[in-house]
Amino acid sequence: MSKNRELLSKIGLRLDGRRADELRRIRCKLGVFTEPDGSAYLEQGLTKILAAVYGPHQVRGNRSKAQHDAAVVNCQFSMAVFSTGERKRRPRGDRKSTEISIHLRQALTAAIKTELYPWSQIDVYVEVLHADGGIYPACVNAATLALIDAGIPLKEYVCACTASLANNDVPMLDISHQEEIIGGPTLTVAALPMSGKIVLMEMSQRFHVDHLQKVLEKALQGCRDIKHILDEAVKSHIQDVGSSTGWANTT
Amino acid sequence: MPQKIHIRLAAHRVNASVAVNRRVPKIFTPGQVITEQNEFMRGHGTYEEEGFLKSSVAGVKEQVNNLISIRPLKSRYNGEVGDVVVGRITEVQQKRWKVDTNSRLDSVLLLSSVNLPGGELRRRSAEDEHMMRQYLQEGDLISAEVQSVFSDGSLSLHTRSLKYGKLSQGVLIKVFPSLIKRSKTHFHNLYVGASIILGNNGFIWIYPTVTNSEDGVGGFVQNLEEVVSRPERETIARLRNCILALTQSKMMLFDTSILYAFEESQKYSVPELLVPEAMVDVAILTQDRLSMAENS
Amino acid sequence: MFTTKSFIKKNKVGNYLKHVREHYIRDDIACGLQECESCFPVESFLSPDHENKCALFEFNHYIILDTNVILDQMDILEESILGNVIILHTVLKEVKHRSLPMYKRLYNIIDNPSRHFYVFINDHHKGTYLQQKEAELVNDYNDRCIRAACSWYINHAPKCRFIFLTDDSANRAKALQENIQSLSVSDYITNLNNNSSLTDKLSRKDYHAKDAAKDVFPNHLTNVELLTGIREGRLLQGTFRASRDNFLEGFVSVDSYEDQIIVQGRAGLNRAVDGDTVALELFREDDWVCPSDIVLEDEGVEDENVDDVISKENELKRETKKKRGAKPTGRVVGIIRRKWRQYCGILQGGIDGVYQLFVPADKSIPKIRVETRQAEFLRTQKLIVTIDSWPKHSRYPHGHFVRALGKIGDQSTENEVILLEHDVPHSQFSEEVLACLPKMPWIITDDDVTKRVDLRHLDICSVDPPGCTDIDDALHCRPIDPEKLEVGVHIADVSHFIRPGTPLDREAASRATTVYLVNNRIDMVPELLSSNLCSLRGGEERFAFSCIWEMDHNANILNVRFHKSIIKSRKAMTYEEAQLIIDDKTKQDSVAESLRNLNKLAKIMKQRRLANGALVLASPEVKIQMDSETMEPLDVEVKKLFETNSMIEEFMLQANISVAEKILEVFPDCAMLRRHPVPPSLNFDPLVKAGRHLGFEIKVDSGKNLAKSLDEAIKKDNPYLNTMFRILATRCMLQAVYFASGAFQKEDYYHYGLAVPLYTHFTSPIRRYADIIVHRLLAVICGSDATYPDLLDKKKTTDLCQNLNYRNRMAQYAGRASIAFNTHLFFKGKLQDEEGYVLYVRKNALQILIPRYGLECTLFLARKGETSNIFEYNEEDQTQKAGDVVLHAFDPVVVRLTLDSNNIQHEKFVLQLVKPVVDNFSVPGIDQTDDNDKKRKSPEPDKKKRKKKKH
Repeated sequence: MSKNRELLSKIGLRLDGRRADELRRIRCKLGVFTEPDGSAYLEQGLTKILAAVYGPHQVRGNRSKAQHDAAVVNCQFSMAVFSTGERKRRPRGDRKSTEISIHLRQALTAAIKTELYPWSQIDVYVEVLHADGGIYPACVNAATLALIDAGIPLKEYVCACTASLANNDVPMLDISHQEEIIGGPTLTVAALPMSGKIVLMEMSQRFHVDHLQKVLEKALQGCRDIKHILDEAVKSHIQDVGSSTGWANTT
Repeated sequence: MPQKIHIRLAAHRVNASVAVNRRVPKIFTPGQVITEQNEFMRGHGTYEEEGFLKSSVAGVKEQVNNLISIRPLKSRYNGEVGDVVVGRITEVQQKRWKVDTNSRLDSVLLLSSVNLPGGELRRRSAEDEHMMRQYLQEGDLISAEVQSVFSDGSLSLHTRSLKYGKLSQGVLIKVFPSLIKRSKTHFHNLYVGASIILGNNGFIWIYPTVTNSEDGVGGFVQNLEEVVSRPERETIARLRNCILALTQSKMMLFDTSILYAFEESQKYSVPELLVPEAMVDVAILTQDRLSMAENS
Repeated sequence: MFTTKSFIKKNKVGNYLKHVREHYIRDDIACGLQECESCFPVESFLSPDHENKCALFEFNHYIILDTNVILDQMDILEESILGNVIILHTVLKEVKHRSLPMYKRLYNIIDNPSRHFYVFINDHHKGTYLQQKEAELVNDYNDRCIRAACSWYINHAPKCRFIFLTDDSANRAKALQENIQSLSVSDYITNLNNNSSLTDKLSRKDYHAKDAAKDVFPNHLTNVELLTGIREGRLLQGTFRASRDNFLEGFVSVDSYEDQIIVQGRAGLNRAVDGDTVALELFREDDWVCPSDIVLEDEGVEDENVDDVISKENELKRETKKKRGAKPTGRVVGIIRRKWRQYCGILQGGIDGVYQLFVPADKSIPKIRVETRQAEFLRTQKLIVTIDSWPKHSRYPHGHFVRALGKIGDQSTENEVILLEHDVPHSQFSEEVLACLPKMPWIITDDDVTKRVDLRHLDICSVDPPGCTDIDDALHCRPIDPEKLEVGVHIADVSHFIRPGTPLDREAASRATTVYLVNNRIDMVPELLSSNLCSLRGGEERFAFSCIWEMDHNANILNVRFHKSIIKSRKAMTYEEAQLIIDDKTKQDSVAESLRNLNKLAKIMKQRRLANGALVLASPEVKIQMDSETMEPLDVEVKKLFETNSMIEEFMLQANISVAEKILEVFPDCAMLRRHPVPPSLNFDPLVKAGRHLGFEIKVDSGKNLAKSLDEAIKKDNPYLNTMFRILATRCMLQAVYFASGAFQKEDYYHYGLAVPLYTHFTSPIRRYADIIVHRLLAVICGSDATYPDLLDKKKTTDLCQNLNYRNRMAQYAGRASIAFNTHLFFKGKLQDEEGYVLYVRKNALQILIPRYGLECTLFLARKGETSNIFEYNEEDQTQKAGDVVLHAFDPVVVRLTLDSNNIQHEKFVLQLVKPVVDNFSVPGIDQTDDNDKKRKSPEPDKKKRKKKKH
């Protein structure tokens, strides 16, 4: 059946009414918790993510992990039991979440100025409340916001986005769950959008070389768009908080 | 004890913002170029790349001569010498304690930096080292002052004043360090019947006012038998809730704001103060009074 | 640019999963009207210049269609009278959901600018989007959306008028309430000013609904009942196949059952039409019957009288009840999915009035009742008709006329019918496709020369059947040292001209193969390529893809290489010419030498191949000599085979094998290969049985043994016997198919018939698309071309293979049908005695093969439905006995051949037995009878020619 489903109709709209180069709606909020040093909530379409950052703090537990020249970034990814259509217990540390945790760490480490915090540790906890495609990119984006909220120095935003090919021809941005199942290879890219550095790239299936370039280009464009959206959100948050405190302690 | 728990839908959440429209300084976000000139020195929250000075955190610019730094609105505690902190002992080592002070590395309280019972100028003996756990053990709360900052950024504390030392009965609140307004004194005996220590590191200690000055906080005695009267405890609880209300609305914490909040909160009972609407109400009223005081 | 309102859609599937989907509502969707100024301009075919002329409205208007109109009245829409039609996205989605073919047809119309159709995306438009109410049915919701869109249009463009067409009266009433002008399609069409041809095409879904009418069929169960029944296992789901010979019998193949399930009788079939997916109820085992051997035909009556059917049903019951070996039997209780398509056929004569009976050419399809006002004219024509509905009170399904193909019996009409019935794409190549062809005059550039190996100096020649213009292979052979020969197979480099992804490529992929009819060829690629640029004509420089071996004199391959090349064929020969050159010892030129070498090698290779267990199969192939002036068949003859035929075949096989090995090595996942599955041993039963009767043991446990036993099955006095065995063996085989190497296990790559582990098609790229793909793969390996995404996509390749296999099968059938038609044409009015052989022995008939014409006909021993009182049927031995004459399978006979043209659609040969002579049955041979050939009795058996043998 899925063979007959067109990801992009002839009129140029996707199943949910977006055009090929449109992101899903992104809504986000910083500082949703008081306990962690930084936290953020991000909705990308229906994918909903909570991220919390603790640190930098003294390395706890296994001290041998501590590095003399940089902070240790520790990521933990988990999915709520109710996050997918089927209610399912998801034990911590299963293969998928371990993999996403590692990928998250890779992307975040590339952005955090870890060298400023020797002997320290930064914990990033990400929880998926609702999974509707593009979980990893949403996690990266949420984690970025949480890191910024925690005041941890970053080189720049690290944003992630997926892209795929519709009808084997048109690159398509920000793949929803529905589009994920219908098929086609999905390219996930995490990048530092301002400098254009790619910090992580993953393909769900093989792409033909001819297509890779344009899909990658599209995904990077998506990262840049996301960065703009996040930047807006951060600025308005800072403005809000700053006004409440009366910009105290500032000149 | 049965208790009402309020769980709300996200849509019904109360907007806790009490922002007032004032001039908004320019906000920098990570990766943003601050200046393209390179005669400036880079301070905290900035880095240099390709000749540009860029921001690494989200916040506002602070410039001292040609030292530019970006201060994030929220971060771990960056200690400075002379700061008053409240901390918790995490470890007892040889000749020193490790103290969690909400900074990025645990602070150090050297055995030599404490006033041991029996006089200021007593020599430390090997026996004292064995006795360390008797003085302070893991989990104990202390108040202290930052003595110096080590090269790796961790703090060295001292309690060589009577006002510092082990904390006895009271309530601890953790807030973001940037919400604590720097002032001459961080120890306040509030007229309402409780005292408060506003640690620069964002740890706030509320405790019953001690009338007997001799007994003071300084020292290593903890009197847990002493019964704190109900009105006193209610006052402490109310103070706590007021501070929480101010925190939720991201308002600066100092003796005046806390006192104002305390006064404005009188129309609510202590438990009612945990209802979001009430908290915002208190915050707004406090904000109004503060700005009135400022303008007058 | 867009507003994002998100909403929640719940979808419940199976165990109640909750699906939440986003749905973006946009403000950038245009209405598509040219007159509109508020929407930003968008490409739209709507045009204010087009006029819809309907007598009911004195103003020009736009038409908005409901889903049911598109589903039922597609034939009307395809007529280019209605224009300025707005298709709502809601409708489009519903059409797609309900019927994919309809959706495709609709899209063809939408894509045609001259039809002025426009798709309005109402469900993402902020002005027309509606939220589904709680407990609102999807249908009601869609209707509401459609009406909302109509209202929106009316308000949006007050200057324009809109008419809403729907056949759903409830929806129409509601629309009128909401001040939307709406009509039913038939009202609209009948009042159209130029409607003459359209009214016939109106779908008759609800016509003739007499409540009083007696039900001819039992009710179908409702959808819900069907679904629960299937889920609970009470009902089975399967594909219905009607019997070609018996209109009251059919089979349902159900996945979980090995045997097909028999359904019989009116109530059993219950309005299922060939190809439908049906739900069926299985009977208890005591009620099972066996498949009938008898032939029953629906005579076709005017009214709804079913008496004749009842009598036939009874006959069928008698026939099937008593026997042993009953098979699972059931009855159809509901239709899950109709697979109605358009059918070719003619009108049944002898009926007056507007209601006519249509007789489809495909015998497995029931007759169809149509309404027409031009019956007189249509009776002379072949037509296309489609089924609209089959209500339970009607004996025949109701349908409507789509179009006429041409006069009955015309060759062009018949060709058209053959092509249509076999789904062969045969329209002219479109402009878009032709634009991809190279510009003439075509010259070889220096650039081409540097990229290819220049083989113009080699003595290459081609050998093909006479009259062949699409020459795709050529060969050469030369000694390179005393021990070694260099043999080259050069294949036309079609992939050089057909670049992937171009319209030309897509067209070729869809056609998949060139179809050869007797007097017509439906090219896969345009003629410029097939007969000129790609055809390796003698004396012309052409691009080729070469496969070059070094062989020793024992035909062992020492070395193989592939590259693109430029060649110049010295001569394009026919098989016969080549044979003459080889045989003519006086010829000593290089071409002759190389032909002789090739022939020598080929013989060794063939020997080796046969020793490996390759099967030599036979099927009677005939060639029809056409009169070039009148295009009438002059003679029918069996194709002659020369040594050179097998020489060419041998090298082509070798080239294919070598290429297959190469591409699989480099592309283990997506190489296009060809496999010939091992047939299940059950298939061989008739062969083994027939062999046993004649005293041969046919071993079928392996290809090698089969080949060996076939070789040994020889009788000196019946030279044709061996061929008969081979023909039978051929029928036991399965079809060879293309596949993508990633889709099967390695063991399954085997080619049973050729007895090689790997095989592909490389040597005929002009007429087969699979070869083009193989060429592309090989070109990548040689480094002379680059890959492209679809080439490496296992799934895409598998899909492509499916199309290729389907088209190949259809092309084969079409070719056969064409030969059959022309043979019929040849025999028209002729009366002939011919030698033939008994192929199968049936209960009331003999299946006779006439090798001279490659014909296979039925000799009825008794009238339909009766058992013969002359012949005695022995089921065990498969013999028919009459007196002392016993007819076995493979026995030679002489039969008289006439063509029965009573049924114009199904002209068939009528056979009468001449020899052996059976009293009261056989007829005398033509040469001895002068005018009494109508006499049934043959007084004297002819002894001279008696070939029958007893054992």
